[in-house]
Amino acid sequence: MIKLTKSELSHYNGTDNNPGYIAYNGKIYNITDSFLWKKGKHQVLHTAGEDLTEALKEAPHGEDLLDRVPVIGELIE
Amino acid sequence: MARVAKEMVEKAGVNVNQLVELLVKNASAELTTFYYYTILRVNLIGLEGEGIKEIAEVARIEDRNHFEALVPRIYELGGKLPDCMKEFHDISACPPANLPKDPKDIKGILKVLVEAERCAVRGYTQICNMTAGKDHRTYDLALAILNEEIEHESWFSEFLGEGPSGHFMRRGETSPFVSKFLK
Repeated sequence: MIKLTKSELSHYNGTDNNPGYIAYNGKIYNITDSFLWKKGKHQVLHTAGEDLTEALKEAPHGEDLLDRVPVIGELIE
Repeated sequence: MARVAKEMVEKAGVNVNQLVELLVKNASAELTTFYYYTILRVNLIGLEGEGIKEIAEVARIEDRNHFEALVPRIYELGGKLPDCMKEFHDISACPPANLPKDPKDIKGILKVLVEAERCAVRGYTQICNMTAGKDHRTYDLALAILNEEIEHESWFSEFLGEGPSGHFMRRGETSPFVSKFLK
């Protein structure tokens, strides 16, 4: 399991052959291979490399959909 | 492009570029679903499958209708469909509704169908949320499609035995909510 700060997480934006990671509630998820996160973008509005804890509150789905992508680490201060 | 109509949407505070991109992605989801549902439908055979075939066919035709209804709005707002069909497929708002590895797995096919409909319900809910009270025409269209997608989800969910409800198959014409956009 890896540990990343928000700043370090921002490098994993799914573009230029970088893997795509997102954070939610302190966990880091690898969304690189998700069809719904192609080129590090999700439904136009969201970008990989970010902590989406607040954004998920507004999303038309719950955190259960995150179970479909692997947890690879934790977000640290 | 409908210049003033687009201006009105922008003035209301909607990011039109984002909205158009979402509409194109959902149009892709509809057309690709129409394609993948064709394959699912032809594999709905046997004692279990034949009972579901009719309802899968209605969902297939209505998803194609959703594509047809979305396209004019995309162009009104200054957007366009990609020139390349492959690119169009790959930007879909929903993953491909692929046939399960075992094509005789009827429950597996139902799970693919219900998952595709749930993705669509999420997508049109998002568009409704973005446009409510701001872009009346897109909202009206997205709400009409959402109504049909929710019914599709309910049909397949009930076949999976997830819970009871009062839904029935279509009685009469397909697309009772979206048909006004197709005339």
